[in-house]
Amino acid sequence: MNALFNKLALAITFSPTGKALLQETYRLKNLFNSKLLFIHVGEKDSDLENQLYKIIDDAGYLKSDYEIAWTSGDTANSIIRECEKKKVDLLISGALEKETLVKYYLGSVARKLMRKAPCSTLILKSPSLTPKKFNSFCVSTDYSIESEKAIRTAYSFALLEKAEQLNLVRDYNIPGLATAIIDSGSMDEVEKEKSVWQEEEEQKMKLYIRELNLKELKINYCILYGKEGWESNKYVRENEFDLFVISAPVKKSTFFDRLFPHEEQYSFENLPSNLLIVR
Amino acid sequence: MKLNAENITLLFLSLALMLFTARLFGEIFIKLKQPAVIGEIFAGIILGPTFLGMIAPGWHEIIFPPSPEIRIIQDGISILSVVLLLLVSGLEVDLSILLKQGKTASLTSIMGIIFPFIIGFSVAFLFPQLFGNNYNHPTWFFALFIGTALSISALPVIAKTLLDLKIFKSHIGSIIIAAAMFNDLIGWIIFSVLLSLIGVGVQKFSLLFTIIYLFVFIFAALILFRRIISKTVEIIQNKFSSPGAILNFILVLGFFCAALTEYIGVHAIFGAFIIGIAIGDSVHLKEKTREIIHQFVTNIFAPLFFVSIGLKVNFITNFDFVVVVVVVLLAFAGKVIGGSFGARLGGLSKKESLIVGFGMNSRGAMEIILGLLALENNLIQEVTFVALVIMALITSLSSAPIMNYLLKRKEDFNLNNLLLSKNSIISYNGNKESVINELSSIAAKSTKLSSQEIVKSVMEREEQLATGIANHLAIPHAKLKISKPFIAFCKHQSGVDFGAADGIPAQFIFLLLTPEDKNELQLNLLAEIVKKFDDLEKVKQLLPIEDKNKLVAEIKAL
Repeated sequence: MNALFNKLALAITFSPTGKALLQETYRLKNLFNSKLLFIHVGEKDSDLENQLYKIIDDAGYLKSDYEIAWTSGDTANSIIRECEKKKVDLLISGALEKETLVKYYLGSVARKLMRKAPCSTLILKSPSLTPKKFNSFCVSTDYSIESEKAIRTAYSFALLEKAEQLNLVRDYNIPGLATAIIDSGSMDEVEKEKSVWQEEEEQKMKLYIRELNLKELKINYCILYGKEGWESNKYVRENEFDLFVISAPVKKSTFFDRLFPHEEQYSFENLPSNLLIVR
Repeated sequence: MKLNAENITLLFLSLALMLFTARLFGEIFIKLKQPAVIGEIFAGIILGPTFLGMIAPGWHEIIFPPSPEIRIIQDGISILSVVLLLLVSGLEVDLSILLKQGKTASLTSIMGIIFPFIIGFSVAFLFPQLFGNNYNHPTWFFALFIGTALSISALPVIAKTLLDLKIFKSHIGSIIIAAAMFNDLIGWIIFSVLLSLIGVGVQKFSLLFTIIYLFVFIFAALILFRRIISKTVEIIQNKFSSPGAILNFILVLGFFCAALTEYIGVHAIFGAFIIGIAIGDSVHLKEKTREIIHQFVTNIFAPLFFVSIGLKVNFITNFDFVVVVVVVLLAFAGKVIGGSFGARLGGLSKKESLIVGFGMNSRGAMEIILGLLALENNLIQEVTFVALVIMALITSLSSAPIMNYLLKRKEDFNLNNLLLSKNSIISYNGNKESVINELSSIAAKSTKLSSQEIVKSVMEREEQLATGIANHLAIPHAKLKISKPFIAFCKHQSGVDFGAADGIPAQFIFLLLTPEDKNELQLNLLAEIVKKFDDLEKVKQLLPIEDKNKLVAEIKAL
């Protein structure tokens, strides 16, 4: 049987978060029954190597559980390169929950990984030394082929976790709609049209869930009108889902995408929960 | 200078009359399915020198006395109105939508600016007499203005047109609105630089510094302080009384930035517009707040402004047929060709590109504001202004019918276009497999697929999931390697079990085939069919119909 993710990777560090990430990865490796690659960015020396093996041993790993890749250079680029070389399916990383203005413009390792990793990426918001399973999953959908892949991945993940629920969230927006009021002076028409759209979206979502044919788990849904990406981010935050699953942006993100965030960029910038980006 | 009781009486009388007449004509035009703003301008023409001033000059002078005190107040109201209009227009400009819509919207927008600008500039520069221009400014100032005036779009009219045509939420609608938003931003930046060039404003700084300050202001508002503004909006919305506090914040910041840009030598409206964009970008700004501020400006200040246009200019004495024709032709040629060319370069089909081009053509209120500012700053004369107003009205009025005509000719994938009598069978009797076989062989004739291939995919789907919906409806379907969706229809004589949740055997069976990479198209078509059959009583009325053409027509009419 194919595992959901055949090969996991974790960029290993000596920080307290690094130790917690080792524990989280251990749980996920067993859950997915995957191979594991540890990536360490830094010059290899025997002292460092010993320290590294020690924290790995302390986390309960056996030597046969993993391989280690030593690499050097820019942290994010080195990790991305190793993931490509070793054909990693899921890269696990920790993240600062919220980045400051300065960090936002300079870029950080976690954000670079979210945007540029060649494989699916799991960003853990607050990794713990005593990891807990994910109980509630939420997936953002726009009905695209990519988001369908994200839903099916989340569904398989949720089944492995014996999770309680899988939620689909769809947010949509019609920019400039309010300006139509300037022209007619009437809000009624705008509100009427909005309610028609909402009904259409509800109908589409019901049919979509039917089409997905995911029978082993209860699927809930929510349709939100507002800024795409932001509304679903807010919904996940407010409902305290354990894992938010999105598909990776189809287009390569640029400096302007960060300057004027939209859609998934809101979640990259401000994690609503643990985040799985499916590629 | 102090207002006396008579001045105050006349001031409020004129304001009341302006508001009343604007509303009256605005409502008439809404009833005629035309933009309210046209009615408001028309109200001004009736109250102004063109009509009332002509037939009853005595009355006109009583209601709108040429007293300098009242004129100053009316000018103040006019400036306040236009600043508020630009502030709320800015609130709706979402720059990230351009990134989302990508290449097509960017090219549409850029070409929709460059083409009309070049055409307008060239003709005005080479033949300024065609526009009745005989001012002392260098010809290229005037030509720059004409280029700018032709390249601007009017977001409110475009939004309303998209709403009326029910294409706001479509791909084309999103491209038009994204392109128009960017177009507005660039248009107002060019116009602001132009106003600085002719030395309008306080002129505290040299031209170079004015332009430097202008770009520093844009950078500060849209990039540097945008996040701080967004955070402030969040705090105000969460911690203070709503919607009073947030409305206050928007107006305070809007007026402050209007004052700032006026101070650096760029018109006040520009500051309001740019800060509107920065505030509107905040994810924390509630939709309700946007709507309230739009209502407040639209129903009070916008009518006063548009009526005041008719009060200032005599539209009959300043009407010059040649100038009007030249301006209208250039406006159509520049925008429609530019916008369509950009959309085509961006990958849209010929028909879709033309729809986008005409969609971008509405000039509406923005053109009139631009023209009035140019008139007040002696950049153009009344003849050109009247031509610009008429052009704005013609482009706004013509957009919707032309787009509607083109939309009808466009190949659209909806049930009504896809459901054809020739692909339908009626009074059929047979089990589920034979219905699917029959419909698949009809589909095979129109697609490049074999009947067996279609049956195989459809049956695979049937095994995974029952496609009986409810109310006698079933939609067996599959995603296949085809370029267009296809629908074949069967009216079953006695009904066949497709596993519907209500247990009613299906008598209306639609075989739906869609391209495999078009998830949302399949959903849209499924949703459309389901919606048509959601009323059991109406569906029952279809059951006795035995004529194929009649039944197809009735289904389309549901």
